[in-house]
Amino acid sequence: MTPSTLPGAHSSSTLPARLTRRFLGTGSVLVLLAAWAVLTMVTDTISTSRFPSPLQFWQSTKQIVTVGYADGTLVGHALHSTRLVVLGFAVAAGIGVPLGLLMGWSRRAEALINPAFLVIRPVPPLAWIPLAILWLGLGDAAKIMVIFFAAFVPAVINTLSGIRAIEPPIIEAARMLGTGRWRFLSEVLLPAAAPMIFTGLRLALQAAWTTLVAAELVGALAGLGRVLNMAQQDIYPAMVMVGMAAVGVLGWATTRLLAEVERRAMPWLAH
Amino acid sequence: MSAIIFENVYRYFTREGKSLPALDGIDLTVADKEVVALVGPSGCGKTTCLRLAAGFEVPTKGRVTVGGQPVNGPGPDRAVVFQQFALFPWKSVEENIAFGLRNQGVSASTRRERVSAVIKLMGLEGYETAYPHQLSGGMQQRVAIARAYVLDPEALLMDEPFGALDAQTRIMMQEELVRIARVNPRTVLFITHAVDEAVYLADRVAVMTRRPGRIKEILDVRHVRNAERWNDHERIEDVMDLESFVHLRTHIWRSLREEKIGVAP
Amino acid sequence: MANTSQRPLSKLEALILGVIGLAGFLGIWLAASMSGYVPRQFLPTPFEVLARATYLLTAPFAGATLPMHLARSLERYAYGVALAASIGVPLGLAMGLYRWLDDIVTPVFDGLRFIAPIAWVPFAALWFGTGIGGPIMIIFSGAFPPCLINAYRGARFVDQRYIEAAQMLGTNSLRTITEVLLPASLPSIIAGLRVGAGLGWQSLVGAELIVASAGVGYMIVQGQSNISTPTVMAGMLAIGLVGLLIDVALRQMEVLVRRARGLA
Repeated sequence: MTPSTLPGAHSSSTLPARLTRRFLGTGSVLVLLAAWAVLTMVTDTISTSRFPSPLQFWQSTKQIVTVGYADGTLVGHALHSTRLVVLGFAVAAGIGVPLGLLMGWSRRAEALINPAFLVIRPVPPLAWIPLAILWLGLGDAAKIMVIFFAAFVPAVINTLSGIRAIEPPIIEAARMLGTGRWRFLSEVLLPAAAPMIFTGLRLALQAAWTTLVAAELVGALAGLGRVLNMAQQDIYPAMVMVGMAAVGVLGWATTRLLAEVERRAMPWLAH
Repeated sequence: MSAIIFENVYRYFTREGKSLPALDGIDLTVADKEVVALVGPSGCGKTTCLRLAAGFEVPTKGRVTVGGQPVNGPGPDRAVVFQQFALFPWKSVEENIAFGLRNQGVSASTRRERVSAVIKLMGLEGYETAYPHQLSGGMQQRVAIARAYVLDPEALLMDEPFGALDAQTRIMMQEELVRIARVNPRTVLFITHAVDEAVYLADRVAVMTRRPGRIKEILDVRHVRNAERWNDHERIEDVMDLESFVHLRTHIWRSLREEKIGVAP
Repeated sequence: MANTSQRPLSKLEALILGVIGLAGFLGIWLAASMSGYVPRQFLPTPFEVLARATYLLTAPFAGATLPMHLARSLERYAYGVALAASIGVPLGLAMGLYRWLDDIVTPVFDGLRFIAPIAWVPFAALWFGTGIGGPIMIIFSGAFPPCLINAYRGARFVDQRYIEAAQMLGTNSLRTITEVLLPASLPSIIAGLRVGAGLGWQSLVGAELIVASAGVGYMIVQGQSNISTPTVMAGMLAIGLVGLLIDVALRQMEVLVRRARGLA
């Protein structure tokens, strides 16, 4: 998962240019899909024991949706994973953003917290997985713990750098206008840092999905990672692909949702 | 009485352990309801003077008083208009203007009255709910001036307020400021590097030396303005065409040029 | 009034507060593990973790000593990141230069980008095995997108006049890429490499947790199955330190390039 869509994409002005773009874009996807079908089903260039055919993909999707796989249906696994991501993400954002604000607000707090934070920060979120399993077992609590560590760091860092990036005249204007402590925090620092905070939350959400999938791959009782894990052990490539597609769709949907929240939370930005 | 008084003010900056003088003994009084423009070569410390009066910085030696009170930190009694406007992008025009009043605990009804009065004064009707990014630079600076005026401050501190505007907008804003100053006179310290602007707007123009900054000379524009009846002319270009205006402007330019080509100490 | 605009703390003040903060962190940890509320087996003291790390420097665990595990990890890591950079950077530059390539690749890329790199693990294992190929693919999938995106962004934001000047001088396409686009977008590329290297390191750990028979990620998973918390924590320490070193090295490079360009 990459941070955002390709920035600075070629802008197309004329209608023919736009049509050409759309044609090339859909064309490339269609060609890829056709190549997939032909290579796996007609010419057998790609062995379906390693890479599933579109038909197998469709059959596996039907199987997991209707009958179920790895002790649950697709909807059940997806709900399970999404619930954990949302929980872990909410806890991380709920602690990380205020902590970042506090560190940005008071240099003393920053000096006090930063060194301890720097000890935790370089440890990749995925490296917490074995420790989380040791402490909390294979259930939901361990997943929430690792998601927390994954999402917490970007939430704190981006909030803090959002505050540090506020232009001095804005802060001077607030001081000149006699702004009190709490109003300064809630009506100046918070909205000024909001764009960066949301950038942090987007990164945090992506990190949350990544760690959840990894944690479920290492060991889980339910969820999409467990689907992937079972499918791998069963050497069932079509089901692996279904699991991956589900992870992609959910990642996309939650990111869209967050973008919508962002748009509504910051009406003053030109969209 | 709300005069701005600089008494023998020195300001040193320390950079890489070295102490660099920025202001070298400034003595200047902006009398009650008087507009004083401070001009000088770039880097001479004009802006530092304004920041000292605003309370963003502290003098190394000497003191700055406003309305008889020594300056101690920034506050709404000394409203600043910044070159880059420094509006809050997340607040509408109305909210930006009302923010300082809310901080003072002014009641909602009084606030509405005062905000709508200043919106009218600045010609911002119809833009009350717009966000700053939806406005042109000139309109944004009107909002910033309104935000300062609404506080009814003892002193207005304007730091090259029209420096970021294009030439035409700039002229309109200069005329506007003169009009407002007649309706509602204030004690103003006005920083600019544009000599025309200084002569057109100010009662007195203080010319500074190169860094470390000192006051080189002070010209009494008001005297000339009244004697030559500048106020009979509506438009800025007519005023700027007057021989007395040209004379003053040329004098200041010469004075500044001496500073620029002078041998560095 | 807020401290944000107040004078920054002096170095001494910052140092003292930092030491207090760090001591507080370690103190709480120490107190928690000594208190007996948490079984010591699951929460060793900081000293026990350090002792374990030192021990593992020379004594093997899960088939190898800590330095040997790290060496295996770094080998995979180097291959994976090198592969990601050597495909991502040229492709990104070409996409920046040729619009048709951009139009073709972007939809495919957008379709794949929401799949967490780690979700490729089962396919990676299936296609390339669990030895070196599988993990390399996971590292690649983590490090590739930032390499591509930053090269693309760098090339897109190159002043169009440079490219026009090159074309006017009759420069061919390959030359335009190597002698105009590449140098002009170097700062952006380096920044992408740094992000990619960080994500690659994270992905490496994930890959080794799941599919590997050696490496530092494998070591901590083995520590977990043997309920040896000190081993897990010592591994985390090593992973964090190496990740930090990689980041510092690339950051240094970034600064050097930016400085050479007069950007910093």
